[in-house]
Amino acid sequence: MLFFSFFKTLTNQTVTIELKNDIRIRGTLKSVDQYLNIKLDDVDVLDLDKYPHLSSVKNMFIRGSVVRYVMLPRSEVDVGLLEDATRREAANQAGKAR
Amino acid sequence: MSFFGFDTTLPNKKGFFDNSDPFAEVARARAAGQQDDDDDAIDFEDTYDGLGDQLNEDQDAFNDDTFGDVGEAAPVGKDFDFFGRTAQVADAFGEEQVRYNLQYPAPSEGVAETTTQTNAVQEPKPKRTGYEKYEDPGYIPDLQAKSSVWGVSKKPEEPIYEPPAARRILSLEEVEAQLRQSSARSTLLAQPPVSLPPGIPEPLYPPQQMPLLPEIFSQIPPEILQAQLAKGVPPAQLLQHLPQPMVPEPYSLPPQAPPGIPLHLLQNANFPPQHMVPPPQRHAMPPRPLQQQPPLPPQALQGANNPMPVITNPQQLMQLPEEQRMAYLLEDAKRAKRNHKIFLLSRFNGLMTPQDKNFITRIQLQQLVAAAGNVGDSDPEAVLAEDFYYQVYSQIRGAPRQHPHQPLGHFAQTYLFQTGNRFGGHGGRRNGQNADNHMQRMQQQVQRAVEAAKAKPKNKQLIIEGSLGKISFSNAKAPRTMLNIKRPESSEGGKTAKKAQTDLSLTDRKSILNSIENVYNNLMAMEDMERTMPPPPDESDPEAIQRHMEWRQKVRSLNQKLWQALKVMEPIVPNANTPHPFIAFLSYPKGKKAIPRIFRQIDQEQRVTILTMIVVHLDTLDVVRRSQLAPGESLSLDVREAVELFSQAVMPSLLMYVSEAPFNIIIGLLGLVIAQTHVQTVAKTRIGLGILTMMLSRAEIVKEAGQAEERDWQQWVEKFNVLFDTLEPIFADIFPASINAGDDMYVWQFLAAVGIGASPEQQQRLVIAVKDRVMETVNYSKTLPPDMGSQRLGNVNLFMRAIGLDVELLG
Amino acid sequence: MERLSIHDPPPAAAQQSQQQPPQQQQQNLGPASMVTQGPPQLPPQMFTTAAQLLDLTDKKLVLVLRDGRKLVGVLRSWDQFANLVLQDTVERLYAGSLYADIPRGIFIVRGENVLLLGEIDLDREDDVPPNIQQAPFEEVYALKKKEDSERQTSDKKRHGNLQKLGFEAEHSGETLLF
Repeated sequence: MLFFSFFKTLTNQTVTIELKNDIRIRGTLKSVDQYLNIKLDDVDVLDLDKYPHLSSVKNMFIRGSVVRYVMLPRSEVDVGLLEDATRREAANQAGKAR
Repeated sequence: MSFFGFDTTLPNKKGFFDNSDPFAEVARARAAGQQDDDDDAIDFEDTYDGLGDQLNEDQDAFNDDTFGDVGEAAPVGKDFDFFGRTAQVADAFGEEQVRYNLQYPAPSEGVAETTTQTNAVQEPKPKRTGYEKYEDPGYIPDLQAKSSVWGVSKKPEEPIYEPPAARRILSLEEVEAQLRQSSARSTLLAQPPVSLPPGIPEPLYPPQQMPLLPEIFSQIPPEILQAQLAKGVPPAQLLQHLPQPMVPEPYSLPPQAPPGIPLHLLQNANFPPQHMVPPPQRHAMPPRPLQQQPPLPPQALQGANNPMPVITNPQQLMQLPEEQRMAYLLEDAKRAKRNHKIFLLSRFNGLMTPQDKNFITRIQLQQLVAAAGNVGDSDPEAVLAEDFYYQVYSQIRGAPRQHPHQPLGHFAQTYLFQTGNRFGGHGGRRNGQNADNHMQRMQQQVQRAVEAAKAKPKNKQLIIEGSLGKISFSNAKAPRTMLNIKRPESSEGGKTAKKAQTDLSLTDRKSILNSIENVYNNLMAMEDMERTMPPPPDESDPEAIQRHMEWRQKVRSLNQKLWQALKVMEPIVPNANTPHPFIAFLSYPKGKKAIPRIFRQIDQEQRVTILTMIVVHLDTLDVVRRSQLAPGESLSLDVREAVELFSQAVMPSLLMYVSEAPFNIIIGLLGLVIAQTHVQTVAKTRIGLGILTMMLSRAEIVKEAGQAEERDWQQWVEKFNVLFDTLEPIFADIFPASINAGDDMYVWQFLAAVGIGASPEQQQRLVIAVKDRVMETVNYSKTLPPDMGSQRLGNVNLFMRAIGLDVELLG
Repeated sequence: MERLSIHDPPPAAAQQSQQQPPQQQQQNLGPASMVTQGPPQLPPQMFTTAAQLLDLTDKKLVLVLRDGRKLVGVLRSWDQFANLVLQDTVERLYAGSLYADIPRGIFIVRGENVLLLGEIDLDREDDVPPNIQQAPFEEVYALKKKEDSERQTSDKKRHGNLQKLGFEAEHSGETLLF
């Protein structure tokens, strides 16, 4: 649940999502769910010329499994905290595995 | 307004926690509710059933949200856009309605009589799986019922609107036909274009939630909820999910809108203008019987920030300036077109009922609970384990705290005040507080020492005679050299610099990183222990005392584990090729960042051990070793970052210890620096000078406070003299190469600390060694903007005053 | 779910404030106090698939499938796996600078095939990008078939080359088109 927990803190931030088919979409992250499906508002498709079917789309539900990258504002990430969260996650996983 | 209160009309750039105070809505609602009470047309006595006390009486507060902020001056007219307004909040209506029915089944049944013709009301059964309703044949019609959002009318006495046949919804063809027939404007005006019911009962339940409700709700067992769900709450969702009216965008001219739209076509947006017919396949729209639910063709909204004036009659439109009128017409046409599309789409709205949606939401929340432990659950540890980042993040980066005087939660304290991760300019909003803290504290300590020293000037002569010679300082551009003393040869020639560290092998690196992680794991275990500290034991309760003892025992053993993980006590191998494990630990950013947290968990003795370890290895510390520059070189970015991080993360902890350390420890530490390290190497770096400054200023404060015994003091002076002699040749070289580099404050602090402790004779030597830089800086500061200039001057003056001078004296 | 607004206080706050042992020291407040003192957290139901799809219900959407198909229709129903029911669906075929619409009717889409779901701005949907124009289905279909086979060939080649370098295709074994 680390990534879920992490993305929850990016609510209302502007992110750019690159899908596995190379489409890149910038928008305001409105919500994320446990599958890391992402809801984006006020989307802006980069290279829109190549994707005419997205030309009149204003907000979007993106399935988590097709996301390649999420580019996020660095200032909104607390690295030290994230490191600790990662350690905890690792400890949890190890605990569960046992 | 949307289901979850994502306010789609708000500006996009909202921060994570910019959601407003959850209780503000309540407060507002309460305040407004008191004023609006009179508007309620219900005869209260008729409907009052005693449950009213639980009802939210303040529901009228959102009339403005629903019907637009019309105010008293502009009462809702005949052309009020019910559809558009409703569409804005339609989602919330539906949900609220369901919720109401779940919560107040008795009154809702009573009131809803008038409109529940399609509802199959079921008797509640004691046990339900939640799926029963799917077996009930009556359920399907229920699903399809599109009966109104107005289903649960609050005003039963009001006649249900029965529109005349002429006012039925027209198909597009019919509309077009009508338009073609009636070209005369008057005809069209007379033609009532749409069927709008004369009055729409106000929504029973506003889109906003009262925070009280969920609590009540969560106490209801799911079976009961299911039962109530099955009882036939009118789905009533025809209008549920219309797109929310958009704030008009800057008017780009739709290509298909010709400039000269006949005025009469725009009188009422409910008529889709002929030339804006939607795609042909959408034409087949059977006229719809109205009893079911009038799908109100929307008249477009005048949004709150719509610059368009409200046009109620053609004259008004004519009076507008040409440009504005055009814009208005175009906007209106666009709205009409959109509304028609919405109308077409809305035919099967509500196929998925709020119950369905709730059901799925519930399933998902259940999954989350299973995975993470419910947030509302009683086990905060489970939540924390799965949702740690979010939970703590919302603590430390949340909205400005409502009660700043209250202490932060444990984790917030750990992370908020841990300097390690919040510097470098891209931290949270609480950034910057820590950024200069260290330098300021150092500055304070040096200043205190300077003030103390100044109270007892050692050498009044120095001030009076002007040991700088008779330099005409006013001729600042080319100060004449009055003193020209040859520097003694290096007194440190015999000592060779230690062997350069060889690069760490990959396995070393891996093992170091491993041990860093080990430290962190221990740290987190200790921090978790803090949270589980039992309350202070009651003397009379042996059990509590026992618990406390056990807890302490655990803390102690964790402390030992942490201490071992740090490897501070590993033997020091002289001239080893690889650095001491603890020094290696400190060479990684993660290691540096851990220091403040470590210092919180260890005792004084352990702290002094760490400080000693650092002092002994000063010249092998990465921040010192890598800061050695050949002439003309400047520090690389990663070295600068490492130095910065060390200053921010490690130095404050050390300073905090040193500023309270007993004198003999300071003496011992200085002795170690002199004996164990290459002092000249150390002194050429920011961190090295910082640590020396700490010790020198502390010694001065101890002495001025009269806490130093004569014997100790003699010992100190001895060591100090060695240090001074060693450094004298390079006093001028400890500055950053370029004067405009700006950041030389730490050097002046150091020189000030040296100056205070120096004998008059040493002070003279010191002045001679650095006077060039003094003059340069003084002159340079004059070329800077006043505030920067005075800051630089202030740095110099700290030193000057330490030796009883002042930059003012320099003219 | 009953709590529908993000303005609601998190349930944790209310519940835990009751549980908070009063004798607990302020300095050692656990996560319970953390929640009570902190800013309002967003309610958990906001972070569900349901919440994401809720606003899209009964809206006109473009659905892009993993095989590259684009369907335009009205979302009528869904579930927690993002299985979808689309009504009045039109498949829109793009090839080169052409497109064609094929009326399809009702679609039930299994969630795993969904790539993205975009709400169509009704004001902008008729503004066809200037470089694109509608053409008869047969023409577009033929062109698309050609494009697809070309892409397949080049993809195959690219994957082959990548594989030599040790890269596995991101979506090996399945097509993921646009």
